[in-house]
Amino acid sequence: MKHFKYLIFAVTGCIFLSCDTEEFLNPLPETAVAVEAFYQTDQDVLTGVIGIYDALQGVNENTTTSIGRSNRGVQFEHLLTEHRTDNTRNATLEGSKSDFHRYLVNANNVESEDYWQSMYEVIFRANNILDFIDIADENNQASYAAEAKFLRAYAYFNLVRLFGDVPLVTRVVNPEENELLFTRIATAQVYEQIVADLQEAVSVLNNGSKSRASKAAAQALLAKVYLTQANPNYTGAQQLCEAIVNGGEFSLMSDFYDVFYNELNDEIIFAIQYAAGDANESQSFSSEFTSAFRQGREDGQNIVNENLKADFDAYGGNRTAVSITDLGGVLEVDENEVAKFLPEGSDITTSPPSYGGNARNAGNDYIALRYADVLLMHAEAILAGGTETTSESAIDSYMEVKVRAGFDPVADRPALLTRDALLLERRVELAFENQRWFDLIRFGVADDVLSAHATEMGYVDYSTRALLLPIPAREINLSRGILTQNPGY
Amino acid sequence: MKKRINIFRKTTVLLLILVTASTMISCDPDLFRDELPDTGSQVDNILPSADFSYRPDALDFKTIIFTDLSSESTDYMWDFGDGGTSMERDPVYTFSAGQGTYPVTLTASDKNGASNAKTIDVMVIDEFVPLPVTIINGDFDDGQNDWSFSSFTGGTTSPFNSSSDGSFTNYDGSDNGAKTAGAKWTKETSAGAYLSSNTRYAYQAIVVSPTTVDRTVKYILEYEYAIKTPLEQPGVAPGGNRIISEVLGAHFDDGADAVVSTPVSQFIASEVKGKTVHTLVEQEFTTNASGEMAIMFYAVTDVDVYIDNVKVYAAK
Repeated sequence: MKHFKYLIFAVTGCIFLSCDTEEFLNPLPETAVAVEAFYQTDQDVLTGVIGIYDALQGVNENTTTSIGRSNRGVQFEHLLTEHRTDNTRNATLEGSKSDFHRYLVNANNVESEDYWQSMYEVIFRANNILDFIDIADENNQASYAAEAKFLRAYAYFNLVRLFGDVPLVTRVVNPEENELLFTRIATAQVYEQIVADLQEAVSVLNNGSKSRASKAAAQALLAKVYLTQANPNYTGAQQLCEAIVNGGEFSLMSDFYDVFYNELNDEIIFAIQYAAGDANESQSFSSEFTSAFRQGREDGQNIVNENLKADFDAYGGNRTAVSITDLGGVLEVDENEVAKFLPEGSDITTSPPSYGGNARNAGNDYIALRYADVLLMHAEAILAGGTETTSESAIDSYMEVKVRAGFDPVADRPALLTRDALLLERRVELAFENQRWFDLIRFGVADDVLSAHATEMGYVDYSTRALLLPIPAREINLSRGILTQNPGY
Repeated sequence: MKKRINIFRKTTVLLLILVTASTMISCDPDLFRDELPDTGSQVDNILPSADFSYRPDALDFKTIIFTDLSSESTDYMWDFGDGGTSMERDPVYTFSAGQGTYPVTLTASDKNGASNAKTIDVMVIDEFVPLPVTIINGDFDDGQNDWSFSSFTGGTTSPFNSSSDGSFTNYDGSDNGAKTAGAKWTKETSAGAYLSSNTRYAYQAIVVSPTTVDRTVKYILEYEYAIKTPLEQPGVAPGGNRIISEVLGAHFDDGADAVVSTPVSQFIASEVKGKTVHTLVEQEFTTNASGEMAIMFYAVTDVDVYIDNVKVYAAK
């Protein structure tokens, strides 16, 4: 018992120390960075801004296979867009990734849910930056805020076109604010927010970067928003496209190949960057686009439908060889593969083809906006919802894209540009860049084109209801009855 | 003896009593049945909400393709407003009475019997949009391209004399301020009295909306022409200096077959106003049943004649 007095000391000490209940009951974890504590300097806020892009970039499926643990950003986007058009399909019929091209997506589909979560992660991070914007240098506050709002608009524009009415959250909310988190807001109102955010980005940002938000990126995105919303603003869209064209900072690459294999080139307005060989910064989709000599985890995605190959053969010009491949005659006409995003070090002229040493950690950028898209949007804005135009200015923009593809500026120049010709041009120019789905919706022909496509391919589950994806079931369950489902799911 | 069953043994009697009692009690339906709703089951308060969209069939305006857009529902009852009904989810319905406005009601219900109805006035209209026709190289800026027969038995596939003496008007209707390219015929390339293996025919196949039993479809062939005056160049062909424009009822590979076919429509352009003074022709024609037609130009003339800005479009 000779240590008894020490014991008394120890116990008394504990009692004294434990009196600081605030510290004792709410300890700051040593390893985690608490949000409140993180933002101390301008550099911290900038790091937070870059973090929003990280949410868009997503985590390579080959790095972390568990979809519950990390979001894929835009890496699954081709499933939600290209696979649901007449462009492409999945190689096999196994798993939830093969449900998109057959219009079988249900409310438990993990890829669709992942995309929803990824976009809301972008929105959350953007809102979070806006909360801490005061900490940044005064000179940088406006541009950081504009950048966050551009990305928030980017995410909402994707959500509203894929899911319809969606919850509109424009500030950081706490988990009890269920009404705000889960009440679906009418599409028109979501578009008002998107337009306001992008207008701010247009007026504040400059053209410093292609891998981050810029004035031109905001102009191009806003033009597309104007063309898409229920009451299109064609004049506004035309002016925005002309501002980019007249700005002279962007131009078509003379060789179509360089658009995809010379990153951040003159044609790129906004791209989401990846780095080859780096497990944390690479993407999986390049490897998933291979099938016959598969490099990815799956049996092949974005397999080219025969009907797209036919359009390439007739209207593709020199884009065809850069966009699709039959691997030197090995593949059937309805089994061609994508050639636009081949992993670094690929050589598909050999047999068997080589895809470099590290196809699963590919670094090809995701191209969000490029100059050819802007030129075609310019023609679309002048067409202004009509079926044809003789406007020389519209035909000039259209022909600029066509001539680069190897067509004759005189002999192939139409006297009259039709809506159908423009849609077709977008199909072959922008194939596999996840534009076709949104183009079909915007041109108002999605139901006609896709019902014919479904009949041709025998996809009996197609109906007009498939034009909207289901709201993820998990979100509905969490909402306790506030979030409603889309028709047909 | 040991194996004989004694039915009056105590346990057996007990069992019998139990079975008999069960049988009698079980006649009361309330006794052993679970009560519904169960404790813990929840009332379904997310009720059906009816909605639908519709679009006309591309081939028959009277046939409407309906798509259910209801939520939280499993059963569908359609009333098409003309007496017709359907229980299908996505019915395709033909309004045999034709054009009109029909109040179509969809009643969507779930298996609890909750239902909701929505009525939309469906407009059935005969909205005919004729196929647009693009004449390739209609302004002759591209010389003779796209105006030739692929072959011509006993003749030439050369369609006309290329000329820089076309109209002052551009293809889009604006004034060029100077002459544009055009097509020209001379005595040497004429038909009629001067018919020879050198006679030239300009030809282009077109596809138009066909005329059907229900609908007569008319298009217009438009072009400008000019014929030199006697002061500019003397000479008059038998029957007068003229350009003949024809609409043919089929596509032809061989020019010889096209020339002997009977045209659907023919116009003789013969106003003599001089080399630079163009006259506009609007030649209306009724389409055939296949929609595959062609336009053809030739001339009978002693002097130089010209055409320019050839267009084909649907008549109003």
